[in-house]
Amino acid sequence: MTEAWWYIVAAWGATLGGVGIYATLLLRKGRRLSRVVPPEDRRWM
Amino acid sequence: MTNTTTPRGDAPSAPAPVGTGSTGTRVLGAVALVLVALTALYGLVISPPDRQLGETIRIIYMHVPTVSVAYIAFIITAVSSAMYLWKRTEFWDLLGASSAELGVLFFALTILEGALWGKTTWGTFWEWEPRLTTSAVLLLVYIGYLAVRAIPADARTRATRSAIIGLVAVVNIPIVHKAVDWWRGLHQGRTVMSTIDPEMGGSQLVAMYLALLAGLIVFVWLLIHRFRVAFLAERAADSGLEHAIEQRRVEGATS
Repeated sequence: MTEAWWYIVAAWGATLGGVGIYATLLLRKGRRLSRVVPPEDRRWM
Repeated sequence: MTNTTTPRGDAPSAPAPVGTGSTGTRVLGAVALVLVALTALYGLVISPPDRQLGETIRIIYMHVPTVSVAYIAFIITAVSSAMYLWKRTEFWDLLGASSAELGVLFFALTILEGALWGKTTWGTFWEWEPRLTTSAVLLLVYIGYLAVRAIPADARTRATRSAIIGLVAVVNIPIVHKAVDWWRGLHQGRTVMSTIDPEMGGSQLVAMYLALLAGLIVFVWLLIHRFRVAFLAERAADSGLEHAIEQRRVEGATS
């Protein structure tokens, strides 16, 4: 593996990992909040 | 797991699923995952190295979509801010804030990818040259937008303050975009769209279009979820406030 590939892997890893972690935290926050909000306020369900 | 009672202990209603997902977002999420997998296949395996950039073009397959999505996010924030100042509805306020947060995420990733690409191409992670400097300013301005939203205030004041910042901040985008034309610097002069057209061909072009499409679908999926989380947070805050007022009323009646 050439040196350039380490940077390529780092760039892809940071992007996909960053978005993946953000998405996971977002879904968890949504689940937590929806437990304290009445069902009638969750209109998309 | 479902919750059939309200936080105020009302009678159970029909069971409601917990979370911000819906059939539409599940389908969109599945499409996004397939597109990301295809992008990785084309971007890392199938497409050949570029004649000029060599293997580092594979970083550009991430860099161009993330910056495009960040620009779209900030433009949505600006449009939502204008709409809020006109209509004064919660929808536009929450949409603008949700989009700004995603814009910050994608723009921070853009700068990180750019730094990694810069190290392999220029030999340095960072230079205070026009495109990079204006990009840093853009990121800081939108972090400021999010910081202003975090200042305790009533919903209307917070929304008005952030709408004004959201409208002003978008002026930075053309400055960042044109920085390579207006001032001399290290960053290449080609724009986002012209990077795609002239010299790429075959599987390189497929990789770039797939990456752009995947980035867009992922952004839409995230935006829907982020908006719903913001909406739930507002309802939870309202619910907590109503509960506190009710308790005070009961305490007042019994004393």
